[in-house]
Amino acid sequence: MKLVEPRHPAAFDNNSIAGQSYNQLEAPICVDRVTKEYLGGRRTALDAVSVDINANQVTALIGPSGCGKTTLLRLIAGLEYPTYGDVKMHGKSIRGPGPERGMVFQAYTSFPWLTVAENVARGMKIQGVPKKEQQERAEHFLRLVHLEEFARSYPIELSGGMKQRVAIARALAQNPEVLLLDEPFGALDAQVTWEMEEMVVEIIEREAKTIILVTHDIQEAIYLADRIIFFTRQPGRIKADLQMDFKNGRRFLKKEDLLAEPGYLDMEKQLYSMMREEIKGQTS
Amino acid sequence: MSVSEDFSREAEPGRGAPRFIPPRQHFFEILGSVSNSQAAVLAVLGVVGWLGAWELVHFFTPEAHQKFVPGPGQVISEIFHLIVEKNFVPDVGKSLYRVYLSFAVACLVAVPLGLFMGAFVKVKALINPTVGGWRYLPAASFVPLLLVYFGPTDLAKLTLLFLGCVFFLIALILDDVLSVPKELIESAQTMGASRGHIICRVIFPAAAPRILDSMRNMIAVSWTYLVIAEIVAATDGIGAVMMRASRFFHVETIMAGILVIGILGVMTDIIFRQASRILFPYTFMRR
Repeated sequence: MKLVEPRHPAAFDNNSIAGQSYNQLEAPICVDRVTKEYLGGRRTALDAVSVDINANQVTALIGPSGCGKTTLLRLIAGLEYPTYGDVKMHGKSIRGPGPERGMVFQAYTSFPWLTVAENVARGMKIQGVPKKEQQERAEHFLRLVHLEEFARSYPIELSGGMKQRVAIARALAQNPEVLLLDEPFGALDAQVTWEMEEMVVEIIEREAKTIILVTHDIQEAIYLADRIIFFTRQPGRIKADLQMDFKNGRRFLKKEDLLAEPGYLDMEKQLYSMMREEIKGQTS
Repeated sequence: MSVSEDFSREAEPGRGAPRFIPPRQHFFEILGSVSNSQAAVLAVLGVVGWLGAWELVHFFTPEAHQKFVPGPGQVISEIFHLIVEKNFVPDVGKSLYRVYLSFAVACLVAVPLGLFMGAFVKVKALINPTVGGWRYLPAASFVPLLLVYFGPTDLAKLTLLFLGCVFFLIALILDDVLSVPKELIESAQTMGASRGHIICRVIFPAAAPRILDSMRNMIAVSWTYLVIAEIVAATDGIGAVMMRASRFFHVETIMAGILVIGILGVMTDIIFRQASRILFPYTFMRR
C-alpha cells in the first residue's frame, strides 16, 4: 500500500512571489494543519490535517462514517471554522462562505417557491449578473444537466435525481472556482446515482472545474476522481493520498468502461481493505 | 396453447385473464380509500345526523322547558329574523372588523419578531423568555385592566383580541422559521447571499406557507376571544347581541349568535386555505 505523506503547505511561503504563483496555478485551496474539535474538545473530527487541493482536478474525500470528510468540506466552504490551523484560498484565510466556492448538499436544497430556471439563475441574481445573461447561462446549464424541458417546473414536481441536477446546475451557474460536492448522490437510489455520476463526468469534460467530492462510495470515488484522499476514523487524519494514475488522465463516459481498465480492480481492492481496516479498527 | 392464440388476445385488456376482484373494503378499513362522491355523501350524513340529534333533544324536552332548548330550525330561522328585523348585519360587520383588524396588527407584530428571532439566535435569546411567559397569562384576565385604561371603547376590545393571539402567534411563527432546513440557508450562503437577502428572499419565502397555516390556526383562537371581548361593556357586535338576548332568556338568539360565529370561523378558514392555494401554488403540486 502506498501511503503518501501530504505535502505541507507551510513549506511554501505565501508572501513570496514563488509561493503565490504556486498557490494560484496549482493549489487554489490549502488546508494547513487543521484540527476541528466539537463539544469543547471532547470530539476531534479532524486532527492536524494538511492538504493542497489542485486546480482543475477532481479530488475525492473518502473514509468511513464520522471521519471528518464532510467537516473538511464545510471548512473549505466557510460554513464552519477550524479550531486550530487555517484553510486558505489563494493564500487568503477563508472567513466565510462565498460564491467562488459553490456547494451541492446531500439534502435537496432547491428553493421550492422558484421554478427550476429561477433556481439555477438565483446565484447569478445574487451576484448582480444582468438579467439576459442570467437567462442564457441558466439555459446553458439546464441543457448540461438535461433538464431544459423542466425549466418552468417547480422543484416539488421533480424526482430526487432531478432535484440534485438542479442543485448541480445552480452551483455551476454561479461560476465558482471550486465546486464542493457533499455526498450529492447520497439520498438517491443506485440506478439514479449511476446516471448522475456519468452526467458529472460529462460536465467535467465540458466545464473544467476544481471539484472536491465527499463520498463514502468507493466505486464512485474511483470513477470520478483524479485523486482520492482517504481519511481515518475519529480522529480524522489522512490515511492515504492516492493519484488515479491508472486512468492516465482519461475520463470514461460509461462507467462500465472504467471497470475493464487494468489497475481498476487493484485500486478498488486497496480502498476496500483500507475501509475494512478503519471499520474494524485493526490492520490485517 | 399455440403462440398465435396468445397474439389474438393481445388487443383485449388483461389478455384474457379474468378481472381480479379485490376484497370489499370494510367501513373501518385501515388505510382505506374514499371517492369524492362517497366523501360528499358522508359529509351530508354527518351534518344531517348532527341536526337530527339536536332536533331529537329538542323534541323530547318537556313542553315547559322547550323554550330553553330550541331546535335547529328555530335557530336557523332566528338568524334570518335577526338579519331582517333586528339589523344584525352591522353587528356582524363590527365583529368581523374587530377580529380581522386585531389579528392583522398581531401578524404585523408577530411575523417580523418571529422571523428575526428565528434568524438571529441572539435576538431569540433576548426576546423569547419574555414572550414565552406572556403566553401563560390568560387574555381574559386583562379585561379589568383594559376597562380601566381604555373604558368600554373599541380599543379595549381590539387590544384584548390582540393580546389573546399575538404571543401564541409569535411562538408558532418562530417554530415555522426554525423549521426552515439549514441546508437551504447554507446553500444561499455559498451563493454569496447577504444577510438581508437570506432573511427576505430565503427564510421568509421558505417559512411563508407554514406561517400562513399558523395564522389560519390562530385566527380561530381570535374568534373564540371575540365573545369575551364583546360581552364586557359592548353595545354592538355579535357578542353584545348574545349578551342582551341572555337577559331576556332568548336562547334561540344566543344559539344563533354561536352558529353565526361558527359559520364566520369556517368561512375565515376557507379564505385562508384559498389564499394559500393562490400564494403558494407550488405546495399543492404533485409529481
